[in-house]
Amino acid sequence: MASRIKFENSCEVGVFARLTNAYCLVPPGASEGFYSVLDAELGGGVPVVRSSVAGTRIVGRLCVGNKRGLLLPHNATDQEVQHLRNSLPDEVVVRCVDERLSALGNCIACNDYVALTHPDLDKETEEVISDVLGVEVFRQTIAGNILVGSYCTFTNKGGLVHPQTSVEDLDELSTLLQVPLVAGTVNRGSDVVSAGIAVNDWTAFCGSDTTATEVSVVESVFRLRDPRPGALGSDVKSSMVQDFFRS
Amino acid sequence: MVQYNFKKITVVPPGKDFIDIILSRTQRQTPTVVHKGYAISRIRQFYMRKVRYSQQNFYEKLSTIIDEFPRLDDIHPFYGDLLHVLYNKDHYKLALGQINTARNIIAKISKDYLRLLKYGDSLYRCKCLKVAALGRMCTVVKRISPSLAYLEQIRQHMARLPSIDPNTRTVLICGYPNVGKSSFMNKVTRADVDVQPYAFTTKSLFVGHTDYKYLRYQVIDTPGILDRPFEDRNIIEMCSITALAHLRAAVLFFLDISGSCGYSIAQQAALFHSIKSLFMNKPLVIVCNKTDLQPLEGLSEDDMKLVMEMKAEAMKTITQAGDPNEEGVLLTMSTLTDDGVMAVKNAACERLLEQRVDVKMKSKKMVDCLNRFHVAVPKPRDNKERPVCIPPAVLEARANDAAKQKKQLEKDLEQENGGAGVYSASLKKHYMLANDEWKEDILPEILDGHNVADFLDPDILERCEELEREEGLRLEEQAAQDAFEIDGHELTDEQKEILSQIRKKKALLIQEHRMKKRTAESRPIVPRKFDKDRKFTTNRMGRQLSSMGVDPSAAIARSQSRGRKRERSLSRAAANADAMEVDGQQSNKKLRLGSRSRSRSRAPEEVVPGEGFKDSEQKKKAIKKAKDATKKRNKDARRGEADRVIPTLKPKHLFSGKRTLGKTSRR
Repeated sequence: MASRIKFENSCEVGVFARLTNAYCLVPPGASEGFYSVLDAELGGGVPVVRSSVAGTRIVGRLCVGNKRGLLLPHNATDQEVQHLRNSLPDEVVVRCVDERLSALGNCIACNDYVALTHPDLDKETEEVISDVLGVEVFRQTIAGNILVGSYCTFTNKGGLVHPQTSVEDLDELSTLLQVPLVAGTVNRGSDVVSAGIAVNDWTAFCGSDTTATEVSVVESVFRLRDPRPGALGSDVKSSMVQDFFRS
Repeated sequence: MVQYNFKKITVVPPGKDFIDIILSRTQRQTPTVVHKGYAISRIRQFYMRKVRYSQQNFYEKLSTIIDEFPRLDDIHPFYGDLLHVLYNKDHYKLALGQINTARNIIAKISKDYLRLLKYGDSLYRCKCLKVAALGRMCTVVKRISPSLAYLEQIRQHMARLPSIDPNTRTVLICGYPNVGKSSFMNKVTRADVDVQPYAFTTKSLFVGHTDYKYLRYQVIDTPGILDRPFEDRNIIEMCSITALAHLRAAVLFFLDISGSCGYSIAQQAALFHSIKSLFMNKPLVIVCNKTDLQPLEGLSEDDMKLVMEMKAEAMKTITQAGDPNEEGVLLTMSTLTDDGVMAVKNAACERLLEQRVDVKMKSKKMVDCLNRFHVAVPKPRDNKERPVCIPPAVLEARANDAAKQKKQLEKDLEQENGGAGVYSASLKKHYMLANDEWKEDILPEILDGHNVADFLDPDILERCEELEREEGLRLEEQAAQDAFEIDGHELTDEQKEILSQIRKKKALLIQEHRMKKRTAESRPIVPRKFDKDRKFTTNRMGRQLSSMGVDPSAAIARSQSRGRKRERSLSRAAANADAMEVDGQQSNKKLRLGSRSRSRSRAPEEVVPGEGFKDSEQKKKAIKKAKDATKKRNKDARRGEADRVIPTLKPKHLFSGKRTLGKTSRR
């Protein structure tokens, strides 16, 4: 199921939360609303951890992880690292990465098996990613954007990428990632899909600006409702056509 | 995109109020006091300003009216025609035209009178001219007051028009009066239209909204139409005709097959045929209403034939390339029993959507968006299995979703404990530690000036033990290997023991050193002052040395001499420098010279010749003489010529007392 939520009046939920199959990170907010919604929706199956990263609340953009590990930027403080180590299960490895590009969430996109990275990432970082997260690493761009972490988001079931991605690129990326992919938007036409959505294998959280059509695309591509293999229904298609012409 | 919102037009005041507004504003916003003693140019200026100001105000007010009322030719033809039907285009244009003329006339009057005022030769005459100018302007406005009243009425009516967007997805309901159009509207939308059992309950267009397939549809309820010549139709019917003619919508033609509306099916069919030209290129659905009174199957043969004829006509409006499907063209429903209401709505929306999607798929813009329909399906690139990872706890929770009682969330706790901003949740609450009692333990961040985190290593103990074990094994091996012999000579037992002791000690030292070196990367070397155990004291050194039979006093003295107190650096530096000299003799003078900084290229005593002296000797002598001359004076601390002098800046006698008529300069 996909839910529409807001973090402190911002629809960019993917910026403020990092959701994986083993845990969820949220920033410590002024109120407990966001945390509680995620906690309730995830049903206590995985820990929802409140933590800042590098003193900021944009945890979704600064860190990256999957069920095996969590990578933090070099400027994450020792206390944050310790807090995360204490809060996460022992199977999840928490590591700081000495990487010049500290917004790891913008530079890396991954699921439990594959990761796409920014082309300028260090060799060492690439090794760390494959060691800690246990994934194959591919240097890629998405629709000409080097910030792969911002412009795509994918799980083990499916993925959503920048709306301008061409059909050939989609096929290539899909073969790399081994999941079905769709080019689309969230938050009423926002192309930074990863910023507007936090998703794992069984649930998704979209920004509350997301239209019904976008939500239905998200639900079908991440296969959150029915077991069909990531197909877009004809009803979704026709409403998508109408939405393209709205503005 | 043009928004059709007529609610924002400013109020048009009636003629009399209009005049009052302008005149009182002129009175308030321009100067009011003038005297006949003033210069004539000033008087003229005063009155000219009044005339000009009133004219500007009139102009602005009239311009807003002209600008804000929509121009019938510029807006969407639907609205253009609707306004024409409701208010008569000629009348409307005439009213606006009159206002425009009035605006020009007022501008002309003002221009004339300003010109006349230039030649006004007295206050009285200027005032008369002003009164005349303002009077004439007011007369002009008074003359257009019927137009103003008319425009105000139109404004009020337009503000109440439903806000119909002519370009969006629209479902249009039409048919004879009293066939159940408004009842259907109330069923599918939340518009709450008045429904009464008599004809022409609905007298104007009504708008409601409904959802279908993630999209919003605008449903328009139209007044009933009678089958009569176009010219005879009244305003109410013409509203419907306008909507039918101009909106690209799905049309629901309502048919009362029971005839309880007072019109037979034949009459309704006649209406259908007379307005069928309006249905061209629109998805048309013929809805047979009131099936609770008369089911479709029970119709007489003639009526059935009429209905089928209409259906055939409706099929013609479909301009599809392929064979037209018959579904959703003729539908039956009963708004009373809710039978088939949703089917009608869905059919209409579906057909409209289909048509609009078809049009849009053909457009150029669609090419850019085609990639978004493509679902890229991965081609297998290896035989690796990549299963989905959903934790069993989640699956379990989902399975017994119904049995799940409401969990107490952090939000509830927050509400109970003072709300947002007051309640502060403990971050350590959900720590996963070996012992739950450790959760709230406070871990020091800085200890002895060191960041504790730098020394933390999850497996530091294991690694240390492992290394020690390795080292021990290696040492034993080495010990076994190394025969107790030096340079081929067999050693005595005593010597062997000593040697083994030495080797052991050496090995230990090496091991210790290596340990230190290994951790040195992550750990700074601890300075002595942080050595809380005080392991390396002079006392201990003394004990050790004496146990070895060495006199420790010299070593202790040496180690202590290092930590001498701070002294004046110069003398110590000098002492250090002189330590190299053989004789060790040094004069006070030498010390003094050493303290002066001077360029190194020249000997300290050398005096450069010049400045009018014959040679260095003479110059030196002169310098000495000058020094001698000031010696006594300096000793007494008297004022000399080199001292800085601040003269009296404000001598009292020059700046006090009566100073009239040039006394200051005399003094």
